[in-house]
Amino acid sequence: MSQYYSTTTYNRRRQNWNRNQNTVAFTSAIKLGPVTHTVLVALMITVLGLIYLTQATKATAYDYQAQEVDSKIAELTSEKTDLEVENARLTALNSVRNSSVARTMTTTNQSDFVDN
Amino acid sequence: MFPQFQSHSRIRLLALAIMAIMAVFVMRLFYLQVIQHGTYVALADTEQVKRLKIPAQRGEIYMMDDGQPVKVVLNNTVYTVFVDPQYVDNKAAVIRTIRQVAGGNTVDNFAKLLDKTDTRYQIVARNVSRKQAELIKKRDLKGIGFQAVSERVYPEKSLGGQILGFVNWEGKGQYGIEGKFNDELKGTEGMLQSVTDVGNVPLTIGSHNVDIPAKNGKNVVLTVDRNIQAYSEQALKNGLKKLGAPYGSVLVMDPESGKVLAMANYPNYNPGAYNKVADAKAFNNDIISDPYEPGSVVKTFTVATGINTGTITPQATFNNTDYIQVEDRTITNATKGQTGRVTFDHAYTWSLNTGMVTIAQRLGGGSINSKARGVMYDYFHDRFRMGELTGIELAGEAAGILDKPNIGNGDEVRYSNMSFGQGMAPTMLQVGAAFSSVVNGGTYYTPTIIEGTISDDGTFTEAEQKPTDENVVSKSTSKQVQDMAVRARKAFYAGNDKKGYTIGGKTGTSQAIVNGKYTFDETTGTYIGFGGDSAPKYVIMVRASGPNQAIGGQDVIPIFTDISNWMIDYLKLEPKG
Repeated sequence: MSQYYSTTTYNRRRQNWNRNQNTVAFTSAIKLGPVTHTVLVALMITVLGLIYLTQATKATAYDYQAQEVDSKIAELTSEKTDLEVENARLTALNSVRNSSVARTMTTTNQSDFVDN
Repeated sequence: MFPQFQSHSRIRLLALAIMAIMAVFVMRLFYLQVIQHGTYVALADTEQVKRLKIPAQRGEIYMMDDGQPVKVVLNNTVYTVFVDPQYVDNKAAVIRTIRQVAGGNTVDNFAKLLDKTDTRYQIVARNVSRKQAELIKKRDLKGIGFQAVSERVYPEKSLGGQILGFVNWEGKGQYGIEGKFNDELKGTEGMLQSVTDVGNVPLTIGSHNVDIPAKNGKNVVLTVDRNIQAYSEQALKNGLKKLGAPYGSVLVMDPESGKVLAMANYPNYNPGAYNKVADAKAFNNDIISDPYEPGSVVKTFTVATGINTGTITPQATFNNTDYIQVEDRTITNATKGQTGRVTFDHAYTWSLNTGMVTIAQRLGGGSINSKARGVMYDYFHDRFRMGELTGIELAGEAAGILDKPNIGNGDEVRYSNMSFGQGMAPTMLQVGAAFSSVVNGGTYYTPTIIEGTISDDGTFTEAEQKPTDENVVSKSTSKQVQDMAVRARKAFYAGNDKKGYTIGGKTGTSQAIVNGKYTFDETTGTYIGFGGDSAPKYVIMVRASGPNQAIGGQDVIPIFTDISNWMIDYLKLEPKG
């Protein structure tokens, strides 16, 4: 890339220095033709489109993640329910009464009280 | 020039043709996208937008266990396994898998159902657990499907079957709590409306998505204690077996609150297998739905009425001849021989009908006139609430019968009979609640079976207090009747009672009516009593009957005693010194 001075009168430059302003101007040496412009615009549109698509797909991807989480919750809830039912069955009076522990228990004797 | 002219002409023609075709396209697109826009949007919605019902979980039911709620009715998801015979490619593997994993749940001859290739849906197993369903799914067999079904689980099996009721195949509660609170228990379905992909996964795209969560049913906590319930059921079963009686009921109440602690009926049934019940009578809770003549237990109310109105005292006397005339009827005592001047206390202990008719006569100044009948109705109906619905939170409660004075059958003879428990038909619950009010110091507590509710996060909310009616009888009357009941029990039936406790009660033997006349060949035995330390802590009412069987009140006393002694231990009551 090349650059050149934009020469003006010395006095004017000095005035600009005095005002603490830019005193150098750059001009691109590359000239873009109409075809290049068209291609660039097309590229920009394409990039914008891709960005839109990736964001839209990303939202849908979140839906799938949410669905997976929901499925997991449902599965865990189902397991919890199973365990609750199993717990209720195991602690039911009939189960407890017929348990091996209950069978080995003995009947208590009648305990009397003392008259004062 | 000519060729050039020709060339231009073709290009123009081609351009015109293309423009015409484009115009057709544009018009067609305009028609489809603008004019038919609504139609195609609706068509797309039917394909892409799914409306799913979110089922509400039915509320669970709890009983108490030593002060803590425990679940006695739960929900569980089970699966119905079906096959599409046209889609099954490995029949042998399907049969082997179903047999291995769900062997106990298969339908009869399920293997033959796979041969029905002219059908697309054949159920091969029912009530398969989630684990079993997962095992089958893992085999990755073609043509097998699963349908989730929610079922009620009763881990205590038949315990309190008539209290709980059941849920029928339509998902509707029947009888008991399930029937009474069906609307509250079933909850409200939710709805999910969303654009979905081919796998029915809901997507957030779309502008009309709806997500209304389901509202689960209320979880109900009963006042019934499962230990008292279980013991009462077992004691009733054992007692009836000894008596040889086919039918019986036990009611246990807390006289200080009106809370029902147990309601046992025999025969009972398992709500989880309601479809196997042969006799629909088993669904009924006789304690609330079968009014009957309770017999001499009503003498407790006649005595309380007499004492509370100042008409009699326990030690006041009357002349007992074992017979008493009321209009054209002669009323006799079932127990004869206690003749002469006897106290009303003695009349209560020996269950003398003549004593009770005498009290009724004295209420009217010498006859069971309009005034006497009015007073009796005031006490029996207005104060003790017999002959009207108690409002117990169970389906199928009957109001019972108690004739108004001066209307229809409410004459002198009817009221003389009512004084000793005939000619009226309250339910056991009505009698139990009335008896509680007489022995608890005189406060009528409306009987209740609902302790409260439990939210999904486990928060317990106590039920609203039901209305009470204080001073249905005075404290003094209550104490005197208590003492009479204790003496009546001690006179004959207290031999097996635990020592050091206050236990009292009254027998009742009601005759069946055969060919329009009361007979002693078929009777229903009833016993109602209370027990406690310094104050009554429980009221127990027992009833037993059978066709062509003469069962007396004294016959059911062992059932009362069995439960009463156990209650003393269970409630950890301390004996008096």
